Amino acid sequence: MIEVRDARKWIQNGARRVDILKGLTFTIPAGQFVAIVGASGSGKSTLLGLLAGLDSPSAGEIWLDGVPIHNLAEAQLAAVRGRKIGFVFQSYQLIPTLTALENVLLPYELNSEGRGLKKARTLLNSVGLEERMEHYPIQLSGGEQQRVAIARAFVVEPPIIMADEPTGNLDSTNGRMILDLLLEHNKRAGTTLVLVTHDADVAASADRRITLRDGLIVEDTLPFVPEGAAEGVRHV
Amino acid sequence: MSEAPLPRKQALSWRRAAAIAMRDLKSAPGKFAFVVLSVAIGVAALVGVRGFSEAFRHTLGTEARSLIGGDLSARVFGTPTAEERTNVAAVEKKIPGVRTTWVTETLSMASVPPDPVPILVTLKAVDPAAYPFYGEATLDPQMPLPQALAGDSAIVADELLVRLNAHVGQTLRLGGKQLRIAAVLAQEPDRISAGAGMGPRVMISRATLDATGLLAPGSRASARLLMKLPDPMPSGLTPPEVRKDLEKALPDAQVIDYREGNPSITEGLDHATAILSLICLVAMVLGAIGVAMAMHAHLEQRMDVLAILKAVGAGSSDLLRIFLLQTLGLGLVGGLVGVAAGLGVMEALPAVFGKLLPVHTVMAFPWRSVGAGLGTGLLTTLLFCLPPLLDVRKVRPVLVLRRLVESGPEGIGGFFARVWARWLQIVVGLVVLIALFGIAWALSDSALVGKWFAAGLAATLAVLLVLAWVALRFLRFALNRVRLHLPSSLRHGLANLYRPGNQSAAVLAALGTGVMLILSVYLLQSSLLRQIKETASPRLPNVFLIDISPDEIDGVRSFFAHQQGVTAPVELMPIVRGEFQSINGKTLDQIKDEHVPQRMLQNAELTWADTQPEGDKVLQGKWWTKPDAPEIAVGEWVAQRLHLSIGSEVELETAAMGHRKLKVGAIYRSDEFHIAGRASFVVPSGQLKGEAATWYGGAHIVPARIPAMERALFAAYPTVTVINIADMLTRIESVIDQITFVIHFLAGFSIFAGLTILASSIASTRFRRMREAVVLKTLGATRMRIVRTFSVEFSVLGLLAGVVGVIFANLLIRVLLERMKVNFHIQWAAAAVALAGTALLATGTGWIASFRILGLRPLEVLREE
Repeated sequence: MIEVRDARKWIQNGARRVDILKGLTFTIPAGQFVAIVGASGSGKSTLLGLLAGLDSPSAGEIWLDGVPIHNLAEAQLAAVRGRKIGFVFQSYQLIPTLTALENVLLPYELNSEGRGLKKARTLLNSVGLEERMEHYPIQLSGGEQQRVAIARAFVVEPPIIMADEPTGNLDSTNGRMILDLLLEHNKRAGTTLVLVTHDADVAASADRRITLRDGLIVEDTLPFVPEGAAEGVRHV
Repeated sequence: MSEAPLPRKQALSWRRAAAIAMRDLKSAPGKFAFVVLSVAIGVAALVGVRGFSEAFRHTLGTEARSLIGGDLSARVFGTPTAEERTNVAAVEKKIPGVRTTWVTETLSMASVPPDPVPILVTLKAVDPAAYPFYGEATLDPQMPLPQALAGDSAIVADELLVRLNAHVGQTLRLGGKQLRIAAVLAQEPDRISAGAGMGPRVMISRATLDATGLLAPGSRASARLLMKLPDPMPSGLTPPEVRKDLEKALPDAQVIDYREGNPSITEGLDHATAILSLICLVAMVLGAIGVAMAMHAHLEQRMDVLAILKAVGAGSSDLLRIFLLQTLGLGLVGGLVGVAAGLGVMEALPAVFGKLLPVHTVMAFPWRSVGAGLGTGLLTTLLFCLPPLLDVRKVRPVLVLRRLVESGPEGIGGFFARVWARWLQIVVGLVVLIALFGIAWALSDSALVGKWFAAGLAATLAVLLVLAWVALRFLRFALNRVRLHLPSSLRHGLANLYRPGNQSAAVLAALGTGVMLILSVYLLQSSLLRQIKETASPRLPNVFLIDISPDEIDGVRSFFAHQQGVTAPVELMPIVRGEFQSINGKTLDQIKDEHVPQRMLQNAELTWADTQPEGDKVLQGKWWTKPDAPEIAVGEWVAQRLHLSIGSEVELETAAMGHRKLKVGAIYRSDEFHIAGRASFVVPSGQLKGEAATWYGGAHIVPARIPAMERALFAAYPTVTVINIADMLTRIESVIDQITFVIHFLAGFSIFAGLTILASSIASTRFRRMREAVVLKTLGATRMRIVRTFSVEFSVLGLLAGVVGVIFANLLIRVLLERMKVNFHIQWAAAAVALAGTALLATGTGWIASFRILGLRPLEVLREE
């Protein structure tokens, strides 16, 4: 479960402070597929960065499966990212000097014992890249690169997958294939999927949609109500 | 919410980190070539110097007996007295089977008739039946030494034949004798023990020396007793005991046992090795800075990859581990390349040292030096790379999502915040400084030298960096004012100096350090030589005469009175040798620590004068009036060292007059323009009555007339030796030239390191340059236009580095010369050569590092983007 409590993010440019997120509070239960939507500059990617432990909030708290990641030391934060979160980026973010197989293997090498080679191959097979394992990113198409990125996100079997506009750079066929892979994994493995998008169709396929505008939540289609709180409401 | 256990971050295993590091290296091996080269340069220089020193020391050890010519050697300063010979004979008697021989060395004049012009030679007389006990004299043509020295013959160094345009078989006139040149002396086993020669070697037999009449009582000669001990030694007798006996038998002698080597040589070797190692360390530090810059540039370019790695779970310590291993791997490869090149440098050094080396060094693989070079190379590389590597901690994984432009607080608070953010780098910087001190200490074997080297180098680099920064700022300031008036390729080339990622200031500082090092050595050398020449003023004698016998005095005086070109009357001074028994009531043993050589008191050179000599100024007391006054006048320097004042008592013993007490009557300072200034002790003539004296002289002659004078004097007085100061200066100059050549050779490694940094910096901005070239081409620029633009950039960079180096070298040498009380002059020609040379080298290196860019086709690059 991911819990966000009054999270704020600003950046300081000299004497000027730019507020990006202005106090967000919400909870994402385990296994949910959440789409974060909003116009460009609304703070979607910044929020995703905070949820994934890629950045720290300027104020507020982020809890991930009971772990307060907003004030974790750098090494522990790295462990959270490595073990609990798989990330898929809009621009793939593959390491250009590594082959597809090596890219998939990398999180395993960084975070797990053993070789992981078999698992990496299986995952690449499952995303249809059995013929492209020894290819470098530059030798792959955009769709293929994103499939490598998805395999990489799955390799350590993290309970949460975060995706930042994963279909943003792809044509509709490839975009659909990527989305299917993510959804299928969400259903099959029961992972939480947090996806940032501005594609209405993609957002529509999510369990829940959180809409941001100017750093604030303006819509949450399925706000999480804790069990106790729900009972309390009923009693009233 | 209940807190779940935190996932424990497992450190990346070293093996896995090594695999990732290796994968990263393999992705662009060419990019790291400059890193490898940067490490290799310093290691090569250090392994070369220390390896050679190790081999030289090894040779000294294995050839120790040959280098001394015996098991023991005892050098006496003068010809051995009858008493000394008797004492030695007594020692010999105690050791059945021992063999001894005396070797005499002196200076003399020699010529090859019919050419009457003589040259100064260093003469060595040996007993060919005994000499040398170990090793052998190599002759050309090959023949045994006794055969070569039989009868009236001599063997000579090749230099003598060259200078006199003579050949083997011709006649050599030496003293009053005509000798046949029997062979060329190609190698003399104990040359290293003979000391620096003032002229080419001539070797004759002892019998021939006696026949030349060159040796008279009091002549300036030295003798070495060579002793070969029996093997096995007689029971109850050990070499150290024999040595002690010899020291007792010859109390004034310097006794050397081959087992301990020649201390003056090993000390000299240690000092030279220390100085040269430190020069190499400069190249090594510059190389390490180059590696650090290259790694910094590499990490800057890999910022996205680092962010991805962090996003997929790598911690800062994992990244540090990966890049530390990468640096170490590169350092190791560079170190091994450096070791291979260092072995080449080691082989080349004998040629670089030229005639400075008295021994043929037998080369062997220098394990210790290789270990030292490799270890030092790796350590400096690692230490200097730590600050840039630590920057991986600052890489924020959120970079994968968006590039936040966060400049942080401004003003003084912002400055301190930025300093604080880099506290670990500052601590590492201090560790680097301490490590540099430790390395310099280890290389020089002196904590003091280590401390000053580390502080000096750090300060120099800091000042050079500031100078470089100021130069670049000034250029930019000037450029901003005139840029639109400049031709476009010049403007574009100058603007390139400020290209993002260009490490112009660091390149300037590194290249400037090399220029500074080489120019400083040159400026010091030329200033010292100029000073030596300037102090040889017209008022000083430019010709010295030695070993004039008393019966030749009137003749020599008259000779100079009738010579053309003599600008001042010849000055002649008698020298009598005596021994001080006590000074101020203390025996010589009790004043061993007074910083006056014991030999100067045991074998004191005394002269007499009943009136105050010309050029001497009495500082205390007054000159005696009676020729038999029991007084002595002492030079200021010696008086200070021996704590002598007016009325102090000394006990003196001379051969004829025996023992007497004298009181210090005067303390004087000589103006050093007169020959009297050469004596430190003057007594009334009555105090040296009947003593055997040798006379010395000094004259000033118009330089052009010196050869004619030498010719005539040699014809009339063949045993009088003439030392022409101009010849000596030439000889000193050639030795200084050779020493500075060695230093320049090693300082050249620093320039090379600086150029490698430049090349590395160019390589790290290769993609930007490619883009620029492609954009220019797309806009219609020709290749020549791009060549011009880049050439402006490289040559201005070189020129600025030259300016920085020239300014700092002049500042440094000015301070140094002021302390040495030597006049400083700006040497414009040297500065111009340094500037032009650096600009040319920088331009050449720049083109070597970027020539491929020119051939690129625009589409190749644009498509890759």
